[in-house]
Amino acid sequence: MTGVGPVILAQADYPEAMGTITLAHYLFVSGAMFALGLIGFLTRRNMIIMFLCTELMFQAAGLALIAFSRYHLDHTGQTFVIFVLTVAAAEAAMALALVILLFRKRESLSTEDWTEMSG
Amino acid sequence: MDALISPLVLYSACALGAVGVVLALPRRGASWRVPGTLLAAIAGGVVVLALGLVANESGQLPNIYFYVFAALALGAALRVITHHRPVYSALYFILTIIASAGLYVLLAAEFMAFALVIIYAGAILITYLFVIMLATQSPVEGDDEFQADYDAKAREPALATLAGFVLLAVLTTMVFGGLGSLRAPSGAQHARIERLALATMPQKIERVLRDTPRRDDSGEPMRDADGRAVMMVGPDERVVRLPAIEGRSMVNIAEGSVLVEMPDGGTRMTNPRDWPEELGVSNVEMVGRNLLADHPGTIEIAGVILLMAMLGATVLSRRQVEIDEEAKAHEARRLHGLDEEGVAS
Repeated sequence: MTGVGPVILAQADYPEAMGTITLAHYLFVSGAMFALGLIGFLTRRNMIIMFLCTELMFQAAGLALIAFSRYHLDHTGQTFVIFVLTVAAAEAAMALALVILLFRKRESLSTEDWTEMSG
Repeated sequence: MDALISPLVLYSACALGAVGVVLALPRRGASWRVPGTLLAAIAGGVVVLALGLVANESGQLPNIYFYVFAALALGAALRVITHHRPVYSALYFILTIIASAGLYVLLAAEFMAFALVIIYAGAILITYLFVIMLATQSPVEGDDEFQADYDAKAREPALATLAGFVLLAVLTTMVFGGLGSLRAPSGAQHARIERLALATMPQKIERVLRDTPRRDDSGEPMRDADGRAVMMVGPDERVVRLPAIEGRSMVNIAEGSVLVEMPDGGTRMTNPRDWPEELGVSNVEMVGRNLLADHPGTIEIAGVILLMAMLGATVLSRRQVEIDEEAKAHEARRLHGLDEEGVAS
């Protein structure tokens, strides 16, 4: 290896597509993570934790996208994860601003203080 | 349906996991956290073990690091939803992110792995931590009685867990059943795509070829009069950027030659024999190409979304200070050193 140039860092070969069963492994991890996020969103009563659980679900979706991107050797899946990250960042900013606003009004993070909002 | 792993194993593991998660969710009184977490871990382990056995038979066993990162990610995710202190939940979420980044690296998505660590663990989660610390009073150490009720008790743990794990069971059944009909494209097709991508990057080719020595017929590196190695593209030469000249394609990756313009204005083709084996397109280059060549409009939309979120967050979190006329007058008098009656003190 002479020098760490662009030659060494670049991938020598286009990565081999992975097998169907390996894809199943990643999809199971992704599905389990999504289920955990869903359970957290339904059971926890702290607003911040609920939003954290939506981030967990975003994460699961991202993992599935990357796994499929690798399986099909198509980089659109990875590009899509960039936009998932963008939406997650925007959502976090808005959600946390809302949480701060609600916390100032009631001095509590409980969702049950805001049941009248369900209409 | 051609199931990947036996439905009996899958569904019993889901049921076991559901019981474990219900037990692990926070509750007042007797704590079942440790046995619950263990039970859920065993359930996850059973499914991964079953998948591993199937993979072993077909010779598609994933990397050992897959199991390490998957266990870390799922274990930390479980702690995110079961920990009764929000700060620890957020810290466990960071662990989930880092383990996911490890999985991304295993999937040859280096750029997204780094972006994930920087954006998620570095920026989003720190914002979450700030808000949690702003809005949560620290309870006395080891005293759960002072814990806020909404953190210490889960709402409808059994029903929610049932919903979540029924979803997981259905999802995995459909995914595992449908995988057989999913065809991955052939490797040769993608080698072609990569060559096409590389052919549009003359600057990169030029950079690499400037460091690649030319070889003579015996395979020895060529030397000039001063004994220095001669490179495929010399210091005064440049790779021709035009798409094609005189019917010859500028970059012919398949043959391994490019058209080089010499200092005297003439052109020559490089020798395919010198072509560097390791010249390829990296993940970052492919993602960047895909992003800018195929989805330029989406980037604009993402930018607008981020701007809107920033404006919205600023407007929402601004503290509303309502100053009526009387308070204003009072403040003005105080600033001018006058007392309430308007007499200088």
